Amino acid sequence: MADGIDPLELMPVSRMARPLRALLRGWAGVVLGFLYLPIAFMVLFSFGESRTPGLPFRGPTLHWYQEMLSNGVLMEAVWTSIQLAAVATTLSTLIGTMAAFPLVRSGFRSAGAARIVFTLPIMLPGALIGIALLIFFRRALGVDLSFWTVVMGHIVFTMPFVVLIVSARLQGFDRNLEWAAADLGASPARAMRHVVLPLIAPAIVAGALISVTLSIDEFVITFFTVGPQSTLPTYIYTQIKFGVTPEVNAVATVLLLGTVLLLGLAWAAAGQARRLSRIFGRRRARERIG
Amino acid sequence: MNDWYRDVSRRRFLQVSAVAGAAVALGGVAAACTTGASKKTGTFNWMTWSDHYYDTQLDEIKKAADIGTNISELADNAEGFAKLKEVTGQLDMLSGDALWVPKNFDEGLVEAFDINSLAVSKQLYSIAREFEIWTKPAGYLGYPFGWSPIQIAYNPKFVSPAPDSWEVLLDPKYKGRIVVENQPVEVVAYMAKLAGIKDPYNMTDAELAQAKEALLRLKPNILKFAQQNTDTVAALVSEEAWLATSNLGAEDRVKDAGGSDVVTFIPKEGTIGWMDAEMIVKGGKNHDLIMPFLELAEQKEYIAENFIKYGRPLFNEGAYKILVDKGEQERADRYLYNKPETVLTMTLKGPGVSTDAAIRVFNEVFGA
Amino acid sequence: MVDPIQASHQPRARSNLTRGWPFLPAGVVLLVLFLLPMTVMVAFSLWRTNSDLDVVPDWTLDNYIYFFSEGTYVRTFLKTLIMAAAVTAAGIATALPFAYFLVRYVGQRWQRIVLLAVIVPFWTSYLLRAYAWQAILGEKGALNQFLMGIGLIDEPSRLFVYNDLSVWLVLLYVYFPFAALALYTALEKFDFNQLNAAQDLGARPDQAFRRILLPQIRPGVITACIFVFVPILGEFLTPTLVGGAQGALIANLIINFFRGLQYTTMAAFSFVIAGFVIVVLVIFRRYLRVEDVVARG
Repeated sequence: MADGIDPLELMPVSRMARPLRALLRGWAGVVLGFLYLPIAFMVLFSFGESRTPGLPFRGPTLHWYQEMLSNGVLMEAVWTSIQLAAVATTLSTLIGTMAAFPLVRSGFRSAGAARIVFTLPIMLPGALIGIALLIFFRRALGVDLSFWTVVMGHIVFTMPFVVLIVSARLQGFDRNLEWAAADLGASPARAMRHVVLPLIAPAIVAGALISVTLSIDEFVITFFTVGPQSTLPTYIYTQIKFGVTPEVNAVATVLLLGTVLLLGLAWAAAGQARRLSRIFGRRRARERIG
Repeated sequence: MNDWYRDVSRRRFLQVSAVAGAAVALGGVAAACTTGASKKTGTFNWMTWSDHYYDTQLDEIKKAADIGTNISELADNAEGFAKLKEVTGQLDMLSGDALWVPKNFDEGLVEAFDINSLAVSKQLYSIAREFEIWTKPAGYLGYPFGWSPIQIAYNPKFVSPAPDSWEVLLDPKYKGRIVVENQPVEVVAYMAKLAGIKDPYNMTDAELAQAKEALLRLKPNILKFAQQNTDTVAALVSEEAWLATSNLGAEDRVKDAGGSDVVTFIPKEGTIGWMDAEMIVKGGKNHDLIMPFLELAEQKEYIAENFIKYGRPLFNEGAYKILVDKGEQERADRYLYNKPETVLTMTLKGPGVSTDAAIRVFNEVFGA
Repeated sequence: MVDPIQASHQPRARSNLTRGWPFLPAGVVLLVLFLLPMTVMVAFSLWRTNSDLDVVPDWTLDNYIYFFSEGTYVRTFLKTLIMAAAVTAAGIATALPFAYFLVRYVGQRWQRIVLLAVIVPFWTSYLLRAYAWQAILGEKGALNQFLMGIGLIDEPSRLFVYNDLSVWLVLLYVYFPFAALALYTALEKFDFNQLNAAQDLGARPDQAFRRILLPQIRPGVITACIFVFVPILGEFLTPTLVGGAQGALIANLIINFFRGLQYTTMAAFSFVIAGFVIVVLVIFRRYLRVEDVVARG
């Protein structure tokens, strides 16, 4: 694909390959459409005139975007949520990835039981975990609630996802690769960095993405472990008496655009960096030879 | 070939653990320092609903008196109570409904104060300063803010004759056309009201059985349970629902969202309702900021603006006059603003003896 | 029979501590932030709440007995299990072709973009997306208007929302990315040349698929199942928002107690659910084995 030549031209394939690929491509399109359909409506409602987001659509207006910008509590809540998701995800991914190795490799006799214990936080309702942590933090540890207590709360229920997905990937990992690296003189740490981690990177990234997704909209555990602060989910889910206004839609739209922009920039930067390193690498090699 | 972590010697392991432990300890110290710092800048911690304030109001108060607020959101009285029970002094002010206020006081979580010591309290309707349930020998339990009865809203295009009772919700004509709030104890209380039960939050077993019977008849009529008022309004606008229970203001919100005219009424058997107040937390770290804050925040100009923004009656009489001057009288009167005595005719929300039993009844009816 | 080459690579084991130290942070989190607080909840589940809504340490099994004695909870739990299974099956069925396409026919860089495209919408508030689904599936909603527009139906149908079908659909929507990510990571390490080799040796495509691909991605499939099935047992928001009056799943009933400050009942019911899941996991632990089967090469 990277060379522009369709691999199906080169491989000996069955008659089914081409229609199959077309079918799968169509399915991928359907799936993406399905995923974005509600998003399209969510964005649409942010431009609606009525105080209640929904159909029929009348507008468009930028009124709610203005409201959003002047809503200090909402803006703070968004910022807190972003920080929370970033910190909790980083820690959770780190801790979870580390834990996956001994779980799969050390031959712990109780590894199977450990895995079931890891599934427990997913099984129990967030409300239970939230109340338990509140009581634990305040009565057993005697700490004030703060940003860090929420982070800990989020780590509890996101880390199992990381552990499960990374350990699934590690299972059946071809150890010959590591042993080959050792034969070529690499220390265990080096083999780790250059052989193992790159190969399990998709699992780590997937775990991190799942953690962010879970953390960014978590309400119940957050409510019970947060100090005197607002987060976006607590802001949204507490509008019970009068309902959410399209301000919230506006925030969601802006966040979505912001995320896409950020990721786009990061991707472009990564592409540039790769190109630059290739150029400089070639130059350095030429200098060495010539 | 070892795994990368097997090569770690015991000494290295202990070194790393020591460093990690020191880092955690430092982090803890840093956190403690920052919590201490907030006291000096004059900020207090307030857990409340988002309609109790608006941004410009808080900014002006900050500028005028250097009192800032850390707002954390409140979903439900029960959850707020549970949280306050554990965090105590970390909060300074908590908003709460009706009978939850004395409940918080009885548990030693909030304190009574002399409401007349606040000059701004003179702007309140006198009835608001004398609610029996909020009066204790030690003083008043909360600074009154707003209130609302639960009304039934209906679409006259589909609902006739014009209803005046809870009974209309059970009418088989309206199968699958009714939206009620997702609040089990309250829904059971509506049915209790219909059955003529005096105290829907403290029912006997016999009374519960009556309520359950009504609930069974209500079940087929329900389209869905509203998580938020947004659900209710959307259903009325799209005309999927013809009847709904809601706080005041449903007809305006439906109109604003492009729906047809909806009529609201308070059922003749009486209704449930809430009235909320700001409670002062006992032992709050920034306790001394509360009274000066209330003195400013509860001024009639702010309250009038709040009404225009959120549309439900408030206890500030001075604000009513401002609303009349601003041409909002029609809306204010429709929302019973100048009739705060209505509160005394409502059954007020709060914890009760039959809470658990009501939930069980609800689950039995609406579970599989 | 131990492969002598492998044996030469294995070190003499140091103490258990240095062997398993990367597990420590996760272990600490699990122990201190989860298991310890849960012991309090276990105690709660065996106590009762009095009429003042306080938890009283009177030891009793009443909460557990109540779950089984009142038929509605068992029935709702069964309904939840069926719903979870239905969503899991649909999730795997829809995510597997998607992930397969992504890994097999899409270039490396675009794979990452598509994955992000799948997950980024889920970083918006779920409530807003659910309201969008209400607008799409409702009586005056987009779906009805579309179907009427193409002439499939004459008047709007009320069948699309506020019932079990819409709960199933929205749950599928919510959990699709989890299944997709888990299946993607499993497929990504698979060497597709094996399929070509099998076909060279005379296997039909579906045989190759069944006997070579599926066994190797099994850990990923099981992970995907866990990611979808288990959290659905705790789902209450979706049934409320799109489930209508009859949509309650077991977590709805449990949360009702929670909102009424009946923590003792809530704890007991939660542990019954969790206990059931644990029993299932233990019975099927053969399939869930995590430990490395080293002799693959």
